[in-house]
Amino acid sequence: MALFENLQQAIIDGKAPLVKELTQQALSEGTKPADIFPKAIVPAMDEVGRRMRDCEFFIPEVLIAARAARAATDILRPLLVGDEATRPAGTVVCCTIKGDLHDIGKNIVAMMLESAGFRIVDLGADVSPERIVEAVREHHANLVAMSALLTTTMVNMKAVIEALAAAGLREQVKVMVGGAPVTESWARSIGADGYGKDAPAAVDLARNLVAA
Amino acid sequence: MTEKETYRIRLRPTEVELRAPAGTALRDLLFEHGVEFPCGGRGRCRGCRVRVHAGTAEVNDAQREKLSDEELKNGWRLACQCSLADNLEVELRQWDAAILTDDSPFAFEPRPGLGVAVDVGTTTLVAQLVDLTTGRVLAVRTALNAQARYGADVMSRIEYACSDGHLPALSQLIRHQVASLIDQLIFSAKAARAEVRDVVLVGNTVMHHLFCEVEVEPLSQYPFESPETGLRIFRADDLGWNLDPGSTVRFLPCLGGFVGSDVLAGVLATEIGKSKELGALVDLGTNGEIVVGNSSVLLCASTAAGPAFEGARITMGMRAATGAISQVTVEGQRLACHVLGNTAPQGLCGSGLVDAVAAGLDLEIIQPSGRFANGRKEWTLAQPVALTQSDIRELQLAKGAIAAGFRILLEHLGLSMGDVKKLYLAGAFGNYISRSSARRIGLIDLPIDQVSPAGNTALLGAKLALFTIDGEDGSYTGLRQKIEHVALKADAKFQEAFVDALAFPQHSHVHS
Repeated sequence: MALFENLQQAIIDGKAPLVKELTQQALSEGTKPADIFPKAIVPAMDEVGRRMRDCEFFIPEVLIAARAARAATDILRPLLVGDEATRPAGTVVCCTIKGDLHDIGKNIVAMMLESAGFRIVDLGADVSPERIVEAVREHHANLVAMSALLTTTMVNMKAVIEALAAAGLREQVKVMVGGAPVTESWARSIGADGYGKDAPAAVDLARNLVAA
Repeated sequence: MTEKETYRIRLRPTEVELRAPAGTALRDLLFEHGVEFPCGGRGRCRGCRVRVHAGTAEVNDAQREKLSDEELKNGWRLACQCSLADNLEVELRQWDAAILTDDSPFAFEPRPGLGVAVDVGTTTLVAQLVDLTTGRVLAVRTALNAQARYGADVMSRIEYACSDGHLPALSQLIRHQVASLIDQLIFSAKAARAEVRDVVLVGNTVMHHLFCEVEVEPLSQYPFESPETGLRIFRADDLGWNLDPGSTVRFLPCLGGFVGSDVLAGVLATEIGKSKELGALVDLGTNGEIVVGNSSVLLCASTAAGPAFEGARITMGMRAATGAISQVTVEGQRLACHVLGNTAPQGLCGSGLVDAVAAGLDLEIIQPSGRFANGRKEWTLAQPVALTQSDIRELQLAKGAIAAGFRILLEHLGLSMGDVKKLYLAGAFGNYISRSSARRIGLIDLPIDQVSPAGNTALLGAKLALFTIDGEDGSYTGLRQKIEHVALKADAKFQEAFVDALAFPQHSHVHS
């Protein structure tokens, strides 16, 4: 259907006002709010992810596209009813780790997860293990996504996993980690459930972890 | 136990031959010969890769993760992961880096005796022996910072210092190295050892702490502020240095965050704090440092630019050494590449990278977004050296960090780039970078006649300090109070400015 194709293209091109207009048009034509995610937003952001991975898109283009996607999700979220609203793809608590302020990468991951249908609880940067534990409990999260950009701060991720275990929440949540200095083997060594090497990989990983 | 077998290791292209016992780490052997270990030898980067042409060097998981099958097949190894178990012939990727000293004239008040000024850089050290009566430089010595084998950048150095109590050892390492440079200076100038009265050292906050054996832990995490940033004075005999026991060794005070006395020295050298006109000092490195201001106000900041300016994390990147493409210009529709040492091109150093991207923008091979035009994947500059899409992205991150930091400092003053009358580019990279290319990529948006390469301003400032120590003990209390440190990372506007600064300007400036 041309409308969904246009909406996808508008998200990829980062045209937020057009996204807003087309989303409203789709609704007025009787499309169910929950259907707009799989028909337009998710495939559009998957395409953004592909372009990012192929170095076609860089941080600015990705942020602009994600902002445009948000123009649609902002309209759709309040319209989701019953099951759709309370059980999205999953609830993700995300943050940049304690001691670290780099949050551009974390923001991109959060926005892409949101467009993929996840509910996001973004705690910001320099976040302590205690706050993460609290948020997991309060929001019944099933996923924690943490980012670190410094070799000196990534060590703090281990404390989060330990704090989740100490709080008896480790069985309930999967933990995924990312950021420039983080590697697959390091993620395994601290007991994380997965490592995303870039934002698109993080989205795939989140889907797999929640499905598992 | 039987005596260990020894093996030979022959280095290309320097034709140096070494001998060492079986099991010796290649890291320890090759560091002395210019191989750098950017991640500190933890197998997390590809910076120390060498090519084994003869003999066997083992491959482990870390190498399989970082090197492609083809690279491994062609003999490429990570030097940090190998130890000696065979006679080897090894080609080094990096060697023979030029280190910038200072021979600029300066005004001074004569005082008796000799002094030593030392620029303690994260990567390199430069020391000069100065006759304090005449102001003449009697000798110069340079070296790679011996700590660099434990991490090329300040963060990995901090990580190493914090782990397993390595701080005292790192501290001893640099103290010994500086002492030996001073010995070499005295020896080569045939100077009288007893005449050396004062030694002044400058460096960033991490170098200050590692020399003075101050805990670096506060610098490892937000808010990246150490409580111990002041002037440190040592007596030569407390350090165990072979100088007159009463002579003093001063490490000048830091300015805040990662901004150290190298920048304080830069302010002394360029006198930007004395002029009524708005001036700026920019040191382009892994940690970019910026000072902006005039006689009434001075702001400083550091911004993590990453290693692109030094040729690291660039596909064919290398330091500014023999074989590096250091300049790229457009002649008609053809590219002209200048290769250091007039040899065949082997890689691309920071100044060449900036030139190449500027040329690509002018030729519309690269779009202002940073993407190659027409779906191109790479661009050959001179066989076999090519620029890739991810190289352009790395440069965008580096220049974005500097440009955004500069903009935020100016905004703190309620000013913009157009208000800057004079900009000094400090450091080796600032000396070699083309000012018009720097403008073309949006790194420094000023007409080139307002931008001047200022050389090693840290060393010059340290020398100036040697002449004023009688009146001013080196604490520079007044100047330090005047220079305000701005923590960019904590500034909510910085990340936004950074994203804004990632793209390249649309058009070149006709008048520059």
